[in-house]
Amino acid sequence: MAASMRLLVRRVLRLSHRNINVAAAGGSGRSGCCSGSSSCRCFSDATGDRSTHFGFETVPETEKAKRVYKVFENVAQKYDVMNDAMSLGIHRVWKDMLLHAMHPQPGVRLLDVAGGTGDIAFRFLEYVQSQQERQKRRAARSTQTPSWQDISTNYSTEDKDGPQESKAVVCDINKEMLKVGKQKADSMGVSAGLSWVVGDAEELPFDDDQFDIYTIAFGIRNVTHIDQALQEALRVLKPGGRFMCLEFSKVTNPVLARLYDTYSFQMIPVLGEVIAGDWKSYQYLVESIRKFPDQEEFKGMIEDAGFYCVHYHNLTGGVVALHSGFKL
Amino acid sequence: MFRNVLCSLVTETAGVHRCVSRAPVIQRLTAAAASSASSAPFRSFSDVKDEVQPPFDASLLEFLVCPLSKKPLRYEAKTNELINEELGIAYPIVGGIPNMIPQEARLIQKDTDTSTTPTQG
Repeated sequence: MAASMRLLVRRVLRLSHRNINVAAAGGSGRSGCCSGSSSCRCFSDATGDRSTHFGFETVPETEKAKRVYKVFENVAQKYDVMNDAMSLGIHRVWKDMLLHAMHPQPGVRLLDVAGGTGDIAFRFLEYVQSQQERQKRRAARSTQTPSWQDISTNYSTEDKDGPQESKAVVCDINKEMLKVGKQKADSMGVSAGLSWVVGDAEELPFDDDQFDIYTIAFGIRNVTHIDQALQEALRVLKPGGRFMCLEFSKVTNPVLARLYDTYSFQMIPVLGEVIAGDWKSYQYLVESIRKFPDQEEFKGMIEDAGFYCVHYHNLTGGVVALHSGFKL
Repeated sequence: MFRNVLCSLVTETAGVHRCVSRAPVIQRLTAAAASSASSAPFRSFSDVKDEVQPPFDASLLEFLVCPLSKKPLRYEAKTNELINEELGIAYPIVGGIPNMIPQEARLIQKDTDTSTTPTQG
C-alpha cells in the first residue's frame, strides 16, 4: 500500500520535474545547469539513495526524515521544559526578539513551519492583540469627546474582529509535537485565529501566495533538503511577504565558542538524560547544530532560493542567528 | 436522584431489619452508594468524551491544498477526511488536525478500501 503510494508520489514529482526541465531548457546556461542537476536528483532518487548527515553520522537521505521524526516524537512531552533548562530560559528572549523584528500588524497571516509546540504562534497572537488594543486606545484618544452615538457604534465594531483578524497556522511534520502544542493552546484558552496542520516543510500543503509571514524557528536544520524548504517558503508567501528564520549558528568569538562547545557536548546530553530520559536525542540535537551551515552560507542559500534583501542578526554572540528575506 | 433512591432504600431496609443494629447496614449502604455515585459521573464523562471530537476548522480550506498536486480539497464530514478528487486520495483528520503527509493518505480510486498503515515511507 505504501509502495503504490510512493509510486504515485514519484510519478507526480517526475512530471513536475520534467515540466521544470522543459521550462528551464529555454533559459540561460545557469538554469540549464540547475535543470541538469534536478534531473540527476530525479534519477538518483529512483535508483540509489544519496546520503546526508544525521548529527555526526552519515545516513541515507530517506533515513534522515524517519530518524528526525523519532527524535521529536521522543522529546515532544518534555520539549518546552528541556528548552528552558538547556538555554537557561534564553530561548524565550530569542523568540521575543524574532517577534519584535517581525512587528506584525493586525490582519496579517502567519505560517509557522516546524512550529511544533506553538511558541512563535502564541507570541504572534499576543503581539497582534496588544497592537490592536494600542490602536484602539489611540483612536479613542483622538476622539476626545465622542457623542453617545459614536460610543455605541464603537462598542458594536469592537465585537466584530472580521477585517482585522490575524491568523496563525502552525505546521509541523510531527504529530506528537502538534498534539502538545494544541494541548497548550486549549489550556491557555487560545483558539481564535490559530490552526494546526500536519505537513512537510519540503512539500507544504498550502496554495501559492497565501501568507504574509513565514517563520521557521529552530526547525530548518532538521529538514533533509533545506533548499526545497526555502523554495516552498517562497511559493507560499505573498509578494512582499517576509521569510524569517531563527536557527543556531556559528559563534564568532573563539573563547565563547570553546565554552559553548563544552556546554553543548558535556551538559546538554546529560540534561537530556536527567530530565527527558533521552541522551541520544539531545546528542543528535547538538551535533545537528554543528552540521548546519554558518550565517553567510545560509544567507547565500536563502538568496539562491529567490529572496531579496536578505539580512541576518547574530543573537547571543552568534549562538543564534535571525535570518530575514523578502519575496518581491 | 441517587440520594432519593438511597434514602428510600435505607428507610425500607431499616424498616425491614428493625432487629438488626442499623449502623453497619447504613454504613454498608452509604459505602455502596458512594461507590456507585462516584462511578456514575465517570460513566457519563466517558460517554461525553467519546462523542466530542474537536471540530475541523473549515476556514483552513481557503488555503489548504493537496501537497502533491497543489489543488484544492473537499472536506468529507462522514469519514472526517480531506479528499483530492483528481488524484483520488484522502487525507485523514485526527483530533481536529489535518494530516497532510502524502504517505499517510488513503487511496480511494478502487472500490475496495485500501487504507495505508503509517509506515516509515
